[in-house]
Amino acid sequence: MKRVLVVALLAVLVLSSFAFAEKTQITWWHAMSGSRLPIVNAIVDGFNASHPDIQLTAMFTGSYSETLTKFIASYKTGTAPNLVQVYEVGTQTMLDSQAIIPVYKVPGMLGETWDWAQYIIPITNYYSTNGNLWSMPFNSSTAMLYYNKDLFTKAGLDPNKPPTTWKEVEEYGQKLHDSGVKNVLSFGWPGWIFEQMFTTHNQLFANNNNGRSGLATKMLFNGDFGTMVLGTWTKLAKEGIFLYGGPEYSANTAFKSGQLAMLLQSTSSLSGIEQGSEFAVGTSFLPRFEGYPMGDSVIGGGSLWIRKGQSTKELNAVWEFLKYLAKTDVAIQWHKGTGYFPTVNSAVKALLDEGWFSKDQNYLTAFLQILSGRRDTAAVRGVRLGPFVQIREIERTAIEKAVSGVMTPKQALDEAAQKADQLLQDYAALNS
Amino acid sequence: MQEDRFPGHRYLPYILILPSVAIIVIFLVVPFVQSVHQSFFTSTAFGTRTIFVGLRNYMRLFSSPDYHRSIVTTLVFSAFVILIGLSMSLAIAHLLNQRIRGRGFYQIALIWTYALSPAVAGTIWALMFAPATGIVPYIVAKLFGGYVLNWMTNGKLALLIVAAAATWKMLGYNIVFFLAGLQNVPGELLEAARVDGASGWLAFWRITFPMLSPTTTFLLFVNMLYSFFQVFGLIDIMTRGGPGDATNILVYKLYRDGFLYLNSGSASAQSFIIFIVISIAAVIQLRVATRKAVYAR
Repeated sequence: MKRVLVVALLAVLVLSSFAFAEKTQITWWHAMSGSRLPIVNAIVDGFNASHPDIQLTAMFTGSYSETLTKFIASYKTGTAPNLVQVYEVGTQTMLDSQAIIPVYKVPGMLGETWDWAQYIIPITNYYSTNGNLWSMPFNSSTAMLYYNKDLFTKAGLDPNKPPTTWKEVEEYGQKLHDSGVKNVLSFGWPGWIFEQMFTTHNQLFANNNNGRSGLATKMLFNGDFGTMVLGTWTKLAKEGIFLYGGPEYSANTAFKSGQLAMLLQSTSSLSGIEQGSEFAVGTSFLPRFEGYPMGDSVIGGGSLWIRKGQSTKELNAVWEFLKYLAKTDVAIQWHKGTGYFPTVNSAVKALLDEGWFSKDQNYLTAFLQILSGRRDTAAVRGVRLGPFVQIREIERTAIEKAVSGVMTPKQALDEAAQKADQLLQDYAALNS
Repeated sequence: MQEDRFPGHRYLPYILILPSVAIIVIFLVVPFVQSVHQSFFTSTAFGTRTIFVGLRNYMRLFSSPDYHRSIVTTLVFSAFVILIGLSMSLAIAHLLNQRIRGRGFYQIALIWTYALSPAVAGTIWALMFAPATGIVPYIVAKLFGGYVLNWMTNGKLALLIVAAAATWKMLGYNIVFFLAGLQNVPGELLEAARVDGASGWLAFWRITFPMLSPTTTFLLFVNMLYSFFQVFGLIDIMTRGGPGDATNILVYKLYRDGFLYLNSGSASAQSFIIFIVISIAAVIQLRVATRKAVYAR
């Protein structure tokens, strides 16, 4: 009896592998861990179920940097996946890699046409070069201000009037201090927030139009504007208003536990912060410096790159998946599950129609911020740098040195710019 | 005579060691030679273009204040982990070797830290010292009138905390070996010393410590390797080299340059430098320590 069962099972396995052999196998490497992983898997399952001729295998390959390192190694040995997720700081590396097919060329290669304008423009702008989209936006976020409404009320502040300017951040900070809040403000991703200040005030971060009209060769962050920004932060740190909270998401815990009144953080933290906090969470636009021009907040996150050298059948399957991601309900599924922007116009309309944004206005904040800003300058599109990963770390180090008082803001930024310029020149020498 | 061990099979010994030699060559020698070769080049992330730069990668490192600082940080860190770690574990092992109630419990309680993965140990310490929510800054603030203990902005403090965490993590391992060493010290010698009127301290210093020297030598070497190479995970979890490079030890810097910044030329040069430094340290340590160690019973 047992033997019969085993034979039957083997037969099923063999037969089903024949059935699978008919399918086009494609692989996708990504870096979505934690609560994002089940959402990715649900989307992949939905895609496979609706495309019986394609078998997409999505694989979590570690952090963003690990995924990129693995992709490079696998590309050299000819075992690279068809599709790979790369973080925004890896964009220039991928552009220069000679290992990818720009996504804007794919529909033409397959004899199709595609309307690129259906995507949210500031997002596609970020990943476009000379007006053409090189990678498919996938997980896009930006930074915004989170604040604890209960602590605002306790300090006698209007919980529906978060600070608009950095001057107000300081004034509110003093009042919150007096009401017993030990540390008022902190932020995640310090280097990225520093970059946000440049884009929201329409200031260039590097030369050659932020590295968008040619490879950047010189950083501009140690000019007057950058020094003023870091000077303000250092002053707030000395007054005990700003508590440097470390890289990435390490400051979130303190905010969620009610230790901080304000937090500048990625919009992708919204679900986590709302679920993890026992107070009323308010959100607003990033604080501004008075007297500087209007800009726009910049995109962060990652995009999907198509590997060069695949068969038409595989390329077609990859393209089917990218089209699937642009479907209204899939884009909504992604946005609701993660807090990342819905990338297509139709999804925004559907979310609006069902009352999603009025149910929780916080989901609308970053969206309005990014859509209401200007988009006609290179400064607001965000900087593009070859050795961006390293330069962002250099920015973070400079911020750490300034706020901890090891160096003056100007000294810290000059030192950082000097290091970054060397890297930019090395990169240009290799990639020009 | 050696030939007698394999009569009539002249080549058998060579064949028998072949697998080991092959593994060493494939997994150690070849990559080593490759990385030495790579250290004279600079290349794009995808290797699409490679330029010979001679000694530039080395010159850049030696003239870089960051690299100098990383060397000093590594030396301070290693000295802390080795000196504090070994003396503490010897003291604890000595206490554990006494005839006390619940000895087994204490032994296990003090040894289990070694069973933790670096990620778990790092997370425990990072949570304990988290600036706004951790228990230690909370206690410090209560005791010292609201003093804000923030290791995310205080480089020296960060280095101290990471070094303490690394020492704590290795404590269990060191204690096991010291305990084994202590239990091998013949009781007659200590008894004889006591009869002769030697104090406990003198007996320890003149009899136990010299008899432990093989263990100490071994642990010195293991701890040096540990503090140079294996603390990588702890640093990655706790500080990622920050704040402001204060905990950016050599091996972590190498990892970042090679795998995060995709600069294989500089990373190769760094690995070669670390190799030379460690080799020299190992030779000195083995020479000096072996000469002084008492192996004979």
